[in-house]
Amino acid sequence: MDNLDLLKQKWQSVEQELPKLSYADIHKMLLKKSSSIVKWIFLISICELLFWTILAFFVPESSKTINESMGLKTTFIIVNILHYAIFTIFIYLFYKNYRSIKVTDTIKDLMGSILNTRKTVKNFVIYNVSASILLLIGVNLFYYTKKDQLYTLMVENYEGYGAIPKESFTSVFFISQIIFGVLLVGLILLFYRVIYGILLKRLKHNYTELGKMET
Amino acid sequence: MTKELEHSFVKELETNQNIVHKICRLYTNNSHAHNDLFQEITIQLWKAYPKFRGDSKFSTWMYRVALNTAITLYRKSKRTVATQDFEAVSFKISSIDYDDTVEEQLKLMYSAVKSLNDIDKALVFLYLEDKSYREISETLGISEVNSRVKMNRIKGKLRTVLNP
Repeated sequence: MDNLDLLKQKWQSVEQELPKLSYADIHKMLLKKSSSIVKWIFLISICELLFWTILAFFVPESSKTINESMGLKTTFIIVNILHYAIFTIFIYLFYKNYRSIKVTDTIKDLMGSILNTRKTVKNFVIYNVSASILLLIGVNLFYYTKKDQLYTLMVENYEGYGAIPKESFTSVFFISQIIFGVLLVGLILLFYRVIYGILLKRLKHNYTELGKMET
Repeated sequence: MTKELEHSFVKELETNQNIVHKICRLYTNNSHAHNDLFQEITIQLWKAYPKFRGDSKFSTWMYRVALNTAITLYRKSKRTVATQDFEAVSFKISSIDYDDTVEEQLKLMYSAVKSLNDIDKALVFLYLEDKSYREISETLGISEVNSRVKMNRIKGKLRTVLNP
C-alpha cells in the first residue's frame, strides 16, 4: 500500500494531538479584528486613490496663473473633465471588484478576484503616472515654443527667477522639470515594488500553481 | 437574533474545530502562528456565516472558507517560516498494532506532505479527509479530471521523497 494511503487510513482514526478550544475561547475570537490580506489591499488601495485625488488640489496658485496667462486655460479644463470621467470609471471598477471577493468562492476564484482588484488600482496608478508624464512633456514642449513669454511671467511670479539671467533660464527651467519628473516616477515605482511585492508574492505564486494544473 | 446566530455558530465551530486545527497544523510551524491562523479563520467563518444557507453541511462549507483563509488571506509572518517548534505530529497508535516502523513512516509521510506547496497541500489534505474528487475540484476551482491527475502526480512526488 502507498504510504499516503497508510496515512489516510490512520488520519481519522488516530488521535492527533490537536488543541481543544472551549465555547468561551471561540466566542472571544469573534470580537477580534481580521488582519487578512484583503483588508490590507483595500486600505492601501483607498490611500492610493485618495493620494492621487488630493494631489490634484495641490497645484500652487502661481502655477495656475502662469498656465492661464500662457493661454492654456481651456486645455486644462478639458483635461480635467476627461480626468475625472476616467477617475469615476476606475472607482466604479474598484468597488465592483472588491465586492466580488468572497471567502466562500473556490480557491481559484478567490485568488482571481483579489488579483483583479489589485490590477484595477495598478492600472489606475499607471494611468495617473503616464497621464502626468504626458502632460508634463506636452506643457513643457508648449512652453519651449514660447520661452520668452514664459521667462517674463516666471520673473513676475517667482522672485528667485529674477536672479537667473535670461540666457541660462531655458536650461535651468527645463532641466529642473526633467529631474522632478524622473524623481517622482522613480519614487512611485519603488513604492509599488516594495508594498505589493510583499503582499502579493505568495498569492501570485499560488495562483500560477493552480493555473499549471489546468494545462 | 444576533445572539442566536452567534450561539449556533460557536456551537458548530466548537464541534467541528478539529478540521480547522488540522489545517492550521499543516500550514504553520509553531503554536503562536497556529493560534493566529485559527483566529483569522474563525473571523472569516463568522463573517461569512450569515450567508450560510445550510444547503451544504456546515463542515463542507467550513473546508472551503478555512482553506481559502490559510492559502490566500492569511499573511504568513517571517517568524512562522523560520522556526519549527512543533514535533512534526504525533500519531498515537493503539497498543495492538503499535509498531515503531509504522509510526516512523507516518511521521515521515506527514512531514513530506507539510513540505509541499500551499496548493498541493490543500489537495492532499482534502484527500486525507476522504473527500471525493468532485468535492476537491469544487473547493479548488479546477476540473475533476485535473485534480485526479494532479493527485497522482503528488503521490509520485511523495514516493520519491520517501524512497530516494
